[in-house]
Amino acid sequence: MDWFYDIPRQFLIGLADEGIIHYTFLYEFVVNGFLCAFVIGPLLGGIGTMVVVKRMAFFSQAIGNAALTGVAVGVIIGESYTAPYMSMFGFCILFGLLLNFSKNRTKMSSDTLIGVFLSISLAIGATTLLWVSARVNTHILDTVMFGSILTVNTTDMNVLLVTAVLTALVALPLYNQMLLGSLNPSLAHVRGVRVHLLEYVFVLLVTILTVACVKIVGAVLVEALLLIPAAAARNLNRSIRGFVLWSIAFSTISCLVGIYAPMRWDLPVPSGGAIILSAATIFLITMGIRMVVPRFREAAL
Amino acid sequence: MNERRIHGPAIELDGVSLTLGATRILENVSFSVAAGSIHCVIGANGGGKTSLVRSMLGQMPHTGRIQIQWHDNRVVGYVPQVLDFDKTLPVTVNDFMAMACQRRPVFLGVSKSRRQEIDEVLERLGLAGKGRYKLGTLSGGERQRVLFAQALIPEPALLVLDEPMTGLDVAGHDLIERSIVEFAQAGGTVVWINHDIVQVKEIADTVTYVDREVRLQGNAREVLASGVAAGLFPSLANALPAT
Repeated sequence: MDWFYDIPRQFLIGLADEGIIHYTFLYEFVVNGFLCAFVIGPLLGGIGTMVVVKRMAFFSQAIGNAALTGVAVGVIIGESYTAPYMSMFGFCILFGLLLNFSKNRTKMSSDTLIGVFLSISLAIGATTLLWVSARVNTHILDTVMFGSILTVNTTDMNVLLVTAVLTALVALPLYNQMLLGSLNPSLAHVRGVRVHLLEYVFVLLVTILTVACVKIVGAVLVEALLLIPAAAARNLNRSIRGFVLWSIAFSTISCLVGIYAPMRWDLPVPSGGAIILSAATIFLITMGIRMVVPRFREAAL
Repeated sequence: MNERRIHGPAIELDGVSLTLGATRILENVSFSVAAGSIHCVIGANGGGKTSLVRSMLGQMPHTGRIQIQWHDNRVVGYVPQVLDFDKTLPVTVNDFMAMACQRRPVFLGVSKSRRQEIDEVLERLGLAGKGRYKLGTLSGGERQRVLFAQALIPEPALLVLDEPMTGLDVAGHDLIERSIVEFAQAGGTVVWINHDIVQVKEIADTVTYVDREVRLQGNAREVLASGVAAGLFPSLANALPAT
């Protein structure tokens, strides 16, 4: 796949060489980070709107924590500790499916059940990581938790690209059905929507997205990028169209700024942290606009 | 007289029972609904009306037999009791209609093939010009009309209505009632949970009173004129106009 990535890589490096863009783009890892940002931004921004509608913000957090256990399992079974994708995907998918199965069986509210699983995943993750910490460079754990574009390689980009294509192919045709299923499951069922099946599909999508973004954004912070741009877009929009398109825009801008700014100004901030801080800044601005501009005024209670 | 162009199904329920947890919701419910008729399900709160309707829609683990004799069109238009959703969500009336009626992702806009149909139905229900309004900012009655509007696209053969008149003003009440009557006159079948006994007597063809089990059923006017009905509805004698 290197030939495929080389086209935009050479283009950006050429621009940097001619002094049109900043010289940091001469570094391949910066260009890789940028390419990933153009995939992660729209992907998490778009799916994030559904996460907000379905009130599943903390589900992704639980999956992020489960990814920590996935890394530990990968180390135990001898996978590459810099990219233990098999273990992360395997464990996180099992974890996500179990969570959704429990939700359907217990009929407990999402926030309660996700809260329970969030704690469980954190406890297991912390325990297993401590257990294997003697066997690996513990710095790699920082990378998994908070993201680092320095370590992004072609394998990571391939995983991200395949995940993005798969998510788009599944989520676009099913978007309306998923939305209707979360607004009124009974009505959706009458309209031929397989509500429970789509819940599992959505859980799987968020799970593989979370795992695919771990290297860039970090397991602990993926949830924030699913949530904050969508929340910011929600502040300013009255329609689904504006909600989704602005969420995608905010998410992409956050990723680009978060990757570029630490390089450009030599800031000691990991990419994941910088991305989320950018998104948080956008959210605060939209909140300010909402508070000040009269057209957003609503009932006090 | 209207030409009957919709082929509504006949429906037959035979010994339908439903138990959820330790609670017996329905007990051996049997009745039939003629094709192209308006059938009202009435009864006290908690009597199992919504559970009965949801059993008909295949959403409840009931026992017994429910047979719907479809013709070519198998579309069900369903109006749930309430649209229980987060009112701050950025969903407009057009968004809601589009997400219910089309496959194209709603954030790409209403598809051309549905645009005219949606506009016509909204106008018919007194919602012209409300398409861009946020669903959460509409009044309860307007939201109820939107819920009813989505049930008409695509054209159904069977309308299943769970108290669609809740919160409606007089104008909205009349508009929806007229739509239901026109639908049945065109040949569509209507199953309607309704608490308005006067309305039931005026426009329903048949009626079933459900309180866990069937307490009354038959021709609406005859059933509601019976002495048993007067016992079930203490205010019936005053509410019903003299026949």
